[in-house]
Amino acid sequence: MKRNLIELYKLPAEVKFCKKCTVSNQRPRITFDEQGVCSACNFAEHKRQHIDWVTREAELVDLCNRFRKGNGEYDVIVPCSGGKDGGFVAHQLKYRYGMNPLAVTWAPLKATAIGRQNLDAFIASGFNHILGTPNPVVTKRLTHLAFKHLGDPFQPFIYGQTNFPLHTAVKHNVRLIVYGENGEVEYGGDMKNANKPTRDIQDHDKHYFSGIPPEFWKEHGVSLADLYPFMAPRYEQILDNQTEIHFFSYYKFWDPQENFYYCKENTGFMPNPERSQGTYSKYASLDDQIDGFHYYLSYIKFGIGRATSDAAHEIRDGKITREEGVALVKRYDHEFPTRYYKEFLEFCSITDAEVHEVIDSWRSDHIWKHEAGEWKLRHAVWRGYHA
Amino acid sequence: MRNLRLIARLDIKGPNLIKGIHLEGLRVIGSPSEHALRYYQQGADELIYMDCVASLYGRNHLADIVSSAVKDIFVPMTVGGGIRSVEDATQILRAGADKVAVNTAAVANPGLITRIAHRFGSQCMVLSIEAKQTGPERWEVYTDNGRERTGLDVIEWAKSGVELGAGEVLLTSVDKEGTRKGFDCALVKAVTAEVSVPVIASGGMGKPYDLLAVVNEGHADAVAMADILHYQRATIGDIRAVARGAGFGVRGFTHVAH
Repeated sequence: MKRNLIELYKLPAEVKFCKKCTVSNQRPRITFDEQGVCSACNFAEHKRQHIDWVTREAELVDLCNRFRKGNGEYDVIVPCSGGKDGGFVAHQLKYRYGMNPLAVTWAPLKATAIGRQNLDAFIASGFNHILGTPNPVVTKRLTHLAFKHLGDPFQPFIYGQTNFPLHTAVKHNVRLIVYGENGEVEYGGDMKNANKPTRDIQDHDKHYFSGIPPEFWKEHGVSLADLYPFMAPRYEQILDNQTEIHFFSYYKFWDPQENFYYCKENTGFMPNPERSQGTYSKYASLDDQIDGFHYYLSYIKFGIGRATSDAAHEIRDGKITREEGVALVKRYDHEFPTRYYKEFLEFCSITDAEVHEVIDSWRSDHIWKHEAGEWKLRHAVWRGYHA
Repeated sequence: MRNLRLIARLDIKGPNLIKGIHLEGLRVIGSPSEHALRYYQQGADELIYMDCVASLYGRNHLADIVSSAVKDIFVPMTVGGGIRSVEDATQILRAGADKVAVNTAAVANPGLITRIAHRFGSQCMVLSIEAKQTGPERWEVYTDNGRERTGLDVIEWAKSGVELGAGEVLLTSVDKEGTRKGFDCALVKAVTAEVSVPVIASGGMGKPYDLLAVVNEGHADAVAMADILHYQRATIGDIRAVARGAGFGVRGFTHVAH
């Protein structure tokens, strides 16, 4: 089977790379300006030059004052895996802004030891915390289905990561949910919320679920009871609760590397002992054995692997030069996640041959060509790069 | 009396001096030349320059930085990162470095240690080891600025490196690096007990007193310092005073004439 990615994800047929970073116009919803610069790079400049962060912090203080209850109940839900980003948000809200947060974690599909260690260290640094763990039999089934049909084994996790905080908010009578960064704005995507602190719950299907919400899997024989933990609360419940979702990155300058320093100091965070496959970093997205396959499939579908994304935002953040970013992409982007491959096959009850059949079905002709028995990228940011 | 050398370590990436924690989250600190000059003027006994993305490009970018540094700085300089051949070493030494440090290429090709030692002498060939603890009294050798595992045991590798001709060992603890929690004394001790050449302890110095344990217990011959200097937690003068107060033999130093 061959899929039409251009149509599915509304991709431009002609691949172009941003003049400033490493990302291409194949990232869904990203836009490029007339100078060939991506929306994320333009936003990175905007946030450094035009946003008054003193005013924004004052807005944060107002927000906290508006939602602080003072009756012992939780004031705010902070979704957090125990990593550097959620850890930073939760710790700041509690210890700097005097909020009473409830930290919530949606369990990784298949946790890593370092991820669990970091979550424990984060909780131990002083937080009330709830872990949402769905039935692993169902999770495995959904992971299998999502990989086969969407080419993304990570989708079941995204469901819970997005919807579990909403359930917790409704259940605990908490109106405010604060996430870390607005990925659409920071990393490229829909810019409609660039100057807004909130995220619209109506956008969840489009921005986070690729248009396929949990209920979709009924079609594939998964029962509503099994899907329930992955689904959002009923829409009236969310409205009745007057739930608001805010991004911390609207209020405070967002710099993932500085979050690492903050959490190293405050929440006992430890980076991975070795870099994650597909990229060079040791401190990001390290709690799930399955997520390497999410990034790898992104490399297949869009030609945008994990190193491309990491390098792009580090270039925008002034941590590395474009030349280094391009070299990092060349070295790591194509790397197959072999470290947890056996676990992945087992988790999804799938064979190596089936995996490659799925992978090849997502190779679009405008991204890949088959030459001398090998798949090759038609366009690479490192090809013809002279610096 | 134990003699001790105080070494300022500068990790370089592209045009910038950088610093991380556990060799990760590399922050841009500033200009390498300004910092190097300051440490020289404060009385550093030696400088270490490490190009920490050299293995990415397959070449060392430091020749220019070094050749301009030697105009104002008159203490020994060790330069590492991306040195893969005797020719690479030659180029760095011609630029003005006194010693070369080799890690990734030595792991891939141990014969390089011998070739550099034969050509320039062992005193010039520093074996750089990035060590990460994997169990009680066990450390694994890492390469690529602490990102790649090798499966090699640090103590065994240090011993064979010295047998192959390394005249000095630069021993960086990935666990302690950037943490300001003190050196990995057990690691340093385990290596100094097994090799006859000088060992430079690197990684973890948060305050001047941290050097006492690594010298007294670890038997380090020199300490390499980065975080404590870059973030100006102490000057080399402060550190020298502590070392002298502890009875270590340190170089007499008053000031550098400008």
